[in-house]
Amino acid sequence: MSGLLEVAGVSKRFGGVSALNDVSLEVAEAEAVGLIGPNGAGKTTLFDCVSGVTVPDRGDVFFGGRRLGRAPIYKRARLGMGRTFQRLELFAGLTVREHLEVSERERRADGRLWKDLLGRGGIRLEESERVDETLKELGLESVAGSPIEALSLGQGRLVELGRALIREPSLLLLDEPSSGLDSRETAALASVLNELRARRPISVLLVEHDLELVHAVAERVVVLDFGRVVSSGPLAAVLQEPAVQEAYLGATL
Amino acid sequence: MTEFLSFATPGLPYGCVFALLGIGLVLTYQTSGVFNLAFGAQAYASALVFYECVAHGWPKPAAFVVSVVVLAPVLGLLMDRGLYRFVRTKPVLVKLVAALGMLIAIPAVFEIVFPAGNLYSPPSLFLSPSVVYFHIVGDPINGIELSTVVLTLLVVLLLSVMFHFTQIGLRMRAMAESPRMVELAGVDADSVGMASWMLSSLLAGLAGVMLAPVFGDLQALNFTTLLVAAIAAAAAGSLSSLPYTFLGGLLLGIVGELLSGYLPSGQVLSSGLRPGLPFVVLLLLLLFLPGLRRRWTKVNDPLAGVDPPPAPLVSASRDRSLRRRSRIGAGALVALFVVSSLTWVSPSWVFNLSQALALAIIFLSLVLLTGMSGQISLCQATFAGVGAFTAGQLAAHFNVSVLAGIVVAAVVAGAIGALVALPALRLGGLALALATLAFGLLADNIGFQYSWSGNGQSGISIPRPSLGPINFSDGRAYFCLIVVILAICILVVSAIRRGTTGRQLAALRGSELAAASIGINPTRAKVLVFSVSAAIAGVGGAVYGSLELGASANDFNTLLSLVFVVVVATVGVYTVDGAVGAGLAYVVLNVALSGNLTLRWSNLLEVIFGLGAVVYALHPEGAVEYVKRLTLERFTRRGIETEVLA
Ligand SMILES: Nc1ncnc2c1ncn2[C@@H]1O[C@H](COP(=O)(O)OP(=O)(O)O)[C@@H](O)[C@H]1O
Ligand SMILES: [Mg+2]
Repeated sequence: MSGLLEVAGVSKRFGGVSALNDVSLEVAEAEAVGLIGPNGAGKTTLFDCVSGVTVPDRGDVFFGGRRLGRAPIYKRARLGMGRTFQRLELFAGLTVREHLEVSERERRADGRLWKDLLGRGGIRLEESERVDETLKELGLESVAGSPIEALSLGQGRLVELGRALIREPSLLLLDEPSSGLDSRETAALASVLNELRARRPISVLLVEHDLELVHAVAERVVVLDFGRVVSSGPLAAVLQEPAVQEAYLGATL
Repeated sequence: MTEFLSFATPGLPYGCVFALLGIGLVLTYQTSGVFNLAFGAQAYASALVFYECVAHGWPKPAAFVVSVVVLAPVLGLLMDRGLYRFVRTKPVLVKLVAALGMLIAIPAVFEIVFPAGNLYSPPSLFLSPSVVYFHIVGDPINGIELSTVVLTLLVVLLLSVMFHFTQIGLRMRAMAESPRMVELAGVDADSVGMASWMLSSLLAGLAGVMLAPVFGDLQALNFTTLLVAAIAAAAAGSLSSLPYTFLGGLLLGIVGELLSGYLPSGQVLSSGLRPGLPFVVLLLLLLFLPGLRRRWTKVNDPLAGVDPPPAPLVSASRDRSLRRRSRIGAGALVALFVVSSLTWVSPSWVFNLSQALALAIIFLSLVLLTGMSGQISLCQATFAGVGAFTAGQLAAHFNVSVLAGIVVAAVVAGAIGALVALPALRLGGLALALATLAFGLLADNIGFQYSWSGNGQSGISIPRPSLGPINFSDGRAYFCLIVVILAICILVVSAIRRGTTGRQLAALRGSELAAASIGINPTRAKVLVFSVSAAIAGVGGAVYGSLELGASANDFNTLLSLVFVVVVATVGVYTVDGAVGAGLAYVVLNVALSGNLTLRWSNLLEVIFGLGAVVYALHPEGAVEYVKRLTLERFTRRGIETEVLA
């Protein structure tokens, strides 16, 4: 199989609403794909199906050639999926630093109860250094010790990004990472993502309304409307298509 | 047929009462988000007041008006306005502790007001229980069966008229079935909530007065355990359907009596199964009713908002020098405590303090489970019992040293804990609490009755441990051993808190979804900590049993589990010192109150902890953290002042 991620004919209904209808798409190794479409198009639902939050009614998700079926969220994370959430999901009560520390420990996957009991469960130097690095990359050093409740929405999004990144996922699912960020922060986010991709091969599926960010990061886009893929290809070409314009106009009207 | 009927009809009063209480549970749960475990206690209060009024020569109708029509709704209204409405958006644990506090405090308060001691043969409402009024197919129907059925039918008739034709009734029913929709439709949830509290409490009061004559004497315990059957009934209605709840309650009452009729008598299983039936049914429903599972995992709390993050612990905000000073201070205090206990403290107080520290070990299990992982267990006393009986039986039958027995006790309790948690955990907070409650009551009624485990009321003996030449039958020596074991348990809990598991738990408490998205397996982490917590409780139980030289099923009954939760929550569930403080407070208050007070005021302890639970519900940090915060504020203010002066 060619793609790292393959979504094959996925459908999902919520009561009478058909959130996804026979959606297929592919993200290749080291490729960045934008997923765009009006509100309610089913983008978040697709992320949920891919990351294991919900189980699709029909269709399959393949990751690295493996059929995921009903694999739970944490197993998919261990296979190399990282994601952020449109509605922030932060660890209330923990500091920014602790967010990254938890995730870094999970990457190493060597935390055991018996190690805790022997007093060997504390943060190690190598872990601490990686956390510092990630904090620096994202420009979060100044708030490292702050409780998460003290952060702005934009900083919260960066913490979620860092928490996913520090695990070194092979696929990163970003759900509207720029909402809540101002234009300067958005530009910074774009450069963080591009630097990251220049350093090591990572696939990105990016849900985003800010088309500039999509343009800066993604090589091609997939357009979703009413749970269906209505178009895909390079951003500029896709935006010319009548079906896409209709979807967006319909949404803005 | 006659035999069947003669077995079935005595179940009718029970069934009716289960059904009425179940309806009350569903109504109040859906309209105010609180699962009111105190309805049984309210039923007892009304029954007690009715008894007292009749005993003072009042005519029964007047007694009925006072105890049921007036007292019951007023009590419900007071609870709603004074407590429950403040906790409706709080986490499950807080609501549960608030309800448990009421469950414990209400009977105690009423027993202080009406100090009559043992109240035998409670009066019936209007028909005599010993008179047979007529026969159905040869089966005699006595007064209590007749009166409960007639009254319940009347109530059901009134309720259905109300639910179908009056505005407030329609709103209540709509809210019970879909609380969000009603709130969206702009109905004032507060007034509907008040109305349903009054109505439900009225039903509870009526149920109490109706059922009282069935019991030989009037005891709070009889009524509080009724509630589990009511919970099972509510579960049968998936916590939302009033008709199914009613049917479920009725069936439960009747099947219970049928079982006791048809099962061979004289064996533990058959004598325990009838009282145990509601718990078995509840466990099975929780585990296997898919609709219920969905409802419980989706709308865990109909009105709950997002859990507010717990305030950071005081220790987190102390600076280094202050932390060092407070650590030295604490060390000195512990040393002083231990040295005093070994020298000038009287042997009887050494025993009391040993009790306190043994309890502290059990309480520590709650700090780990509830404080760190946000889970609720209402059967920690049962795990303690498992530990005590394991150590005792090993010593008696296999001549295993009690010290080794304590280790095995930890393993056995931990394994049973994992078995209980594994299926129940998928269901989330409230369901886990109820499943553990059912498990605890099942152990009371069946598990601990066998001679190979707790041997029922008679209990088993548990020797003191010995280690080489040291024999711990001396009080002071055993005290030292308890201090060491407690210290080990404290180290275990702190190591878990500081290690990977502790951070995983903190993450899970913050957001389970996000924790899973970075690769944390939520079920594994929670089962693990539940199991370790059960193991610690098992150690505490074994230590406690050995201190007392023996233990019976009564020493570890489920009511005690409820008290434990309330005590630890009141004193402090987030820190290790909270557990130790809770152990000391519990024992010292117990000794002080039971030694110096008449029987009447011995209930004061329950009132204190019941009210403590109320305070907890409003300020969940607990007494120990509160005091620490105050001293920290004093210290830092003084620090600032000295800085300014310099
Ligand atoms: N848990 C849910 N229950 C019911 N409907 C849902 C749920 N999640 C999403 N939907 C519906 O599915 C559709 C797609 O939603 P979503 O995936 O969030 O869209 P997007 O992320 O593109 O804005 C919407 O109509 C939404 O109302
Ligand atoms: Mg979305």
